[in-house]
Amino acid sequence: MSAEMTEFSLERGLQAWREEIDAPTATFFSSCVRCGLCAQACPFFVETGDPQYTPIHKLEPLRRVWEREFTLLGKLKAKLGFGQPITDAMLDEWEPLLYDSCSMCGRCSMVCPAGNDIQYMIRKTREGMVASGHAPEGLVAASVRAVKTGSPMGLQWKTLEVQIQHVETATELQVPIDQPDADYLVLLSSMEIINFPEYLEAITKIFAHAGVSWTLSKECFEATNAGIQIGSKDIAAVLVQRVVDAAVKLRVKNVISPECGHAYTAIRWEGPNAIKQAYPFKVFHIIEVLDQLRATGRLKLEGKETDRLSMHDPCNLARKSGVIDEQRRLINLVADNFVDLKEHGKFQWCCGAGGGVSSNERAEPLKLAAFQRKKAQIEEIKPERLVTMCATCRTQLEEGLEEFNMEIPVVGLTEMIAEHLVEGEKP
Amino acid sequence: MPIEVNGKSLEVDEEGYLANINDWEPGVADVMSKEDDLTLTDEHWDIINYLREYYEEYQIAPAVRVLTKAVGKKFGKDKGNSKYLYGLFPYGPAKQACRYAGLPKPTGCV
Repeated sequence: MSAEMTEFSLERGLQAWREEIDAPTATFFSSCVRCGLCAQACPFFVETGDPQYTPIHKLEPLRRVWEREFTLLGKLKAKLGFGQPITDAMLDEWEPLLYDSCSMCGRCSMVCPAGNDIQYMIRKTREGMVASGHAPEGLVAASVRAVKTGSPMGLQWKTLEVQIQHVETATELQVPIDQPDADYLVLLSSMEIINFPEYLEAITKIFAHAGVSWTLSKECFEATNAGIQIGSKDIAAVLVQRVVDAAVKLRVKNVISPECGHAYTAIRWEGPNAIKQAYPFKVFHIIEVLDQLRATGRLKLEGKETDRLSMHDPCNLARKSGVIDEQRRLINLVADNFVDLKEHGKFQWCCGAGGGVSSNERAEPLKLAAFQRKKAQIEEIKPERLVTMCATCRTQLEEGLEEFNMEIPVVGLTEMIAEHLVEGEKP
Repeated sequence: MPIEVNGKSLEVDEEGYLANINDWEPGVADVMSKEDDLTLTDEHWDIINYLREYYEEYQIAPAVRVLTKAVGKKFGKDKGNSKYLYGLFPYGPAKQACRYAGLPKPTGCV
């Protein structure tokens, strides 16, 4: 953590917000008609019915700075002593609204009839919360670990090495490490390494089968970005730069973001802006890479799953990045009985754990409350198993389904594809 | 505040986790569980000992889902679920059991 991160103050927060207020933000605040549609789109509001979880209301700190300092009427009111000031006490009250009850899923932005990108402003408002010292303890700790150790969970290469050995024993294949000039640099998320090592096993098999040249980097294997989640451009830039440095050093042509939602939006969309530089490589989500392999005839698959399968789209992948058809083309290669949830793709409902909610202990009751929207969707379709492509979504789905005694296993799409490879045959 | 175990004074952090994992001995779990008014049974010790093994291999304290899954693999499905584990460790199976086993506090992903 940089020295300036340790010197939080209200004034630093206000300064951060002044810097964050741009033309879109000003337009959004002036065009909000208070219709409340964003509330109906938010799983935290819908499942609690508590009006304080109305998305636009969560932005009140940023709105007040805009009104007081960027509008004529607001400036006048502030001068006459009528304006609403921003205090540390107010920010204490807003901290759970901005972090515990928002997964930055972006559903509110999608439904706003005025076109206000509310989750874009949540992201901006969090910058000031961090600078003023009002970010949740769990996310601060995760960000410190990410900067210091490379992983938000404090997971080290030695742990990944153990999993690599397991994968190599199980597959009799080699996991390439630090191979210069490989076509793809593969990134992982810590949760995937420790809880879903079947992902690494799956890509090892698929890439060997399809003849893809790939590598891991000992210097940077982590794809997640705690800076994006907590709302710190500085931390986000440090973490993105590590990926860029590793990719440049190995001269790879492409970087693959793993089965994780926010890692993809972080490296694919926010990354170049964070480091203020274009990448000398391309970035893909693993699902996009698998779909390219499918399209070019490099996946030879056999057999089909016959049970009733449904799918949870990660918000960051589907709604925020437009990767929607790819996972459906892939699942239909290996499943006979796939049924989508009623609202899916860009209209999907969040699992409730993204945007840093999962690393914020205080948010646990709300995280479970928000999951009930997903639960209702699952109950409508009654699948025998759920397929997804994000380690945080998957963890949350498993946890929530167990809580409500629903025996529906959750599987990763990449590993499901790997199970159907025609063995010993190269396409 | 350090804790007293078999006449030795051991450093702990502000949340009660051992500062140095190598200070651990079974007496640590006895002392910590007494403070929580919990009597350790063989079933508790299975989990505590397994956590020591787990850390030895993976060098990380498992978060609750990770622990649940790992326990399921090791001891079977009837134990690899949060109801069983919460029954043993009511303050949160990963947090409380890791503390008794001398591991650091488990962390979650972002």
